[in-house]
Amino acid sequence: MPRYNLSQSLLLKLMSEVQRRKYSQEEKNTIFDGEFMPHIDSMYNFAYRLTFDEDDAKDLVQDTYLKAYRFINSFEQGTNAKAWLFRILKNSFINEYRKKSKQPIKVDYQEVETYYNSDDVDYQSTTDLRAESVKDMLGDEISNALNSLAVDFRTVIILCDLEGFTYEEMAKILDIPIGTVRSRLHRARNLLKDKLRGYAQNMGYNTEGEEEEAEF
Amino acid sequence: MNSQSSGERKLQCSDVTKCFELLESILDGDMTQGGKEIMNDKLAKCQPCFEHYHLEQAIREVLKTKCTKQAVPSELSDSIRQKIQGIK
Repeated sequence: MPRYNLSQSLLLKLMSEVQRRKYSQEEKNTIFDGEFMPHIDSMYNFAYRLTFDEDDAKDLVQDTYLKAYRFINSFEQGTNAKAWLFRILKNSFINEYRKKSKQPIKVDYQEVETYYNSDDVDYQSTTDLRAESVKDMLGDEISNALNSLAVDFRTVIILCDLEGFTYEEMAKILDIPIGTVRSRLHRARNLLKDKLRGYAQNMGYNTEGEEEEAEF
Repeated sequence: MNSQSSGERKLQCSDVTKCFELLESILDGDMTQGGKEIMNDKLAKCQPCFEHYHLEQAIREVLKTKCTKQAVPSELSDSIRQKIQGIK
């Protein structure tokens, strides 16, 4: 028998009050302006690299902020707002944008196959790609290499290298175990290196011709 | 062990998988206690580890500097604030 004598209904009421904290209108504004809005650049960059379309990216970011406002009571003030927002954005993208996106989803079956059929992570030295040539590459080349990766691989690189999230934060944002974050990231980097290696080999000749071609 | 030595660094890494995994997690900021010292030791002694570290670091660097400058449409913030006003 419990020593305290709370009726069940009172207990439930207390529990729900703990879970459903209520911010005042002023607090909501402070959180929204102080903790959410400062991440708009990162959010837009992420959205754009997921959708490759300015309008879709704008809609995705806008929807994310509206959801964040609507569910602001489930955000604990002072915790990692950026990770919280990224998680909402990523879920919105999967649930809505992937379906109605103007662009057909580009699936690289070879990447997907390699990814799902192997559990072991392959570490190799890549003597044919050097740090110096990577540093010399143009922004467009780096950007195109990143954009050419399948969305799951692209996402982990964006979260880790562009946005600096930790493995633990990425696991929460993507709803996957840390071990999966680690191996997916490693595979993503290997695929990226393959692309960069291709650019590095072409470097020094035919670059201008390729650029002109790309404009048409 | 260190037969193929050139200068101060050995040319072959005896455990690429373990070393590279460690180097990459350190670069990702997923630091284990004492990991940095082990890494510095490896970088000083092993050429493949040294090269891999610098390549991985260069890739992270260019990604960070060259892929984060997407200009945010100027009207986006205002449009979000307006929509929020509507649901307040």
